[in-house]
Amino acid sequence: MDTLKDILSPDFLLRNSLYVSLLVGFACPLVGVFLVLRRLIFLGVALPQISSTGIAFALSMHVWYGHGDGGHGEEQTTLAFVGAIAFTVLAILWLALLEKRGRGLVEGRLGTAYVVATAISLLLLAKCPVAERGWLNLLKGEIIAISQGDLRLTGIAFAVVLAMLWLFHREFMLVSFDRDMALTLRRNVVLWDLLLFGLIGLTVAVAVLSVGPLIAFAFLLVPPLVARQWARNMRQFVLGASVVGGLSACVGFALAYRWDLPVGPTDVALLGSVYALTAGARRLVLAKSPTLPFRP
Amino acid sequence: MNPARPLVRLENLAVGYGQHVVLAGLDLALASGSFTALLGANGSGKSTLLKALAGILKPLAGQIRWAAPEARPVRLGYVPQRETLDSLFLLSGFEVALMGTFNRLRPGRIVRATERARVGECLRLTGAEGFAGRPFAQLSGGQKQRILIARALAVQPDLLLLDEPVAGVDPAHAQAIMDLLVRLHGDQGLSVILVTHDLPTVRRHIPEVLWLQGGRAVHGPASELLTPARIEDLLELSWS
Repeated sequence: MDTLKDILSPDFLLRNSLYVSLLVGFACPLVGVFLVLRRLIFLGVALPQISSTGIAFALSMHVWYGHGDGGHGEEQTTLAFVGAIAFTVLAILWLALLEKRGRGLVEGRLGTAYVVATAISLLLLAKCPVAERGWLNLLKGEIIAISQGDLRLTGIAFAVVLAMLWLFHREFMLVSFDRDMALTLRRNVVLWDLLLFGLIGLTVAVAVLSVGPLIAFAFLLVPPLVARQWARNMRQFVLGASVVGGLSACVGFALAYRWDLPVGPTDVALLGSVYALTAGARRLVLAKSPTLPFRP
Repeated sequence: MNPARPLVRLENLAVGYGQHVVLAGLDLALASGSFTALLGANGSGKSTLLKALAGILKPLAGQIRWAAPEARPVRLGYVPQRETLDSLFLLSGFEVALMGTFNRLRPGRIVRATERARVGECLRLTGAEGFAGRPFAQLSGGQKQRILIARALAVQPDLLLLDEPVAGVDPAHAQAIMDLLVRLHGDQGLSVILVTHDLPTVRRHIPEVLWLQGGRAVHGPASELLTPARIEDLLELSWS
């Protein structure tokens, strides 16, 4: 309890890290719900990794242009943001194009994208020790040094995503649930898909830039999977996923602070425990009340 | 409504997937207010043609020309095969039916009470109001079909397109669904095209038949096309 009081205090030294952690915790599950509903869980694995390749590309550019190993200023943060966004959006467009052509296995494409992205990141950073160290910290989920600018960027990006999801949730649900119906209603399904995946890409890019691919992936997928077990309707599913994500981010941060652990792995281990516990509890409930009117 | 006026005209239409042509050279007209069964063997192109009519598949060649009753785009009520809808979505029957009103809503607008009332009326018409509050994924095949027909009616369609609406439904419910479609056609003059394999049902309920076989189409009254001799002719057409 004292730890919670400490970290929630306005004078807390790592408050920006906590705020970013909370923003990611609340926002990522909102778009992750669509990845789960569209059975694109592997995309949730591959996209953060591709996004981090964009960051690696941006951080290593100066070395490839022969300017030596530089430091990490505001300029590099901006470059990393552009790299993350560009790689994520290009990957989404490329995967969508392959999907439209209907060739090969979706899982195969995403798995290949994941390993190739990781390999490219390591190759890009091989000659750039400082950037490599920063990138590896990002990979581990070290979210100690969050600047005011990073926090502002994350907040604005997630506010845009939230507003768009709220405004167009009906269209996103229609094209996700019944694409054929959307076409018969003369909806531009390609446009709506692009907008939805654009929002997913923006969320992933910003989350990866702030907290790294490990936490981004975990918060995209585990909270929706936890909420799906208990929700009775879409509203409970979406809000439940966001609440599970936000609370886990808060508790995970407190635990990491209390025991001096890296925040990323602590958050992910906590989410995994929550998933296992809720799945066990669900089984117990169903075993005791097999005639529940609604079986989650 | 003038039953002789064509609602849709197919002109040298070819449909298929990518480079694979399933049906080619289709020339025919379907009258406004008609009730037509799309018949044919597996792989003959029934669902493909239905999807082309629904605007889900673009024609590979030729044209589909619509003539809506008023000067506006034709409204289509599409009832897909219910297995295509994923049970992961936690939508109630009512929420699924409500999607039929989305063609009248601009993005970002809320669904008005009048539209919700209209959906309630469509659910009542299809006998689905009693279970519309339950999760769609947990309904029986026949119940889902009624919800999907209510959703198609909520579009306020000029033409109802149904892809095997009674496949996998027990005989009593299949009969009830066919009775419902006959009633909608008779009472509201609604044009209906449905894909089916069920010849006895077609003989009992549906006046017109479009028989697809070997990439070609034969269109005519059910009473003429579904005699034993004509069926034998049609099947030989494909074998030859």
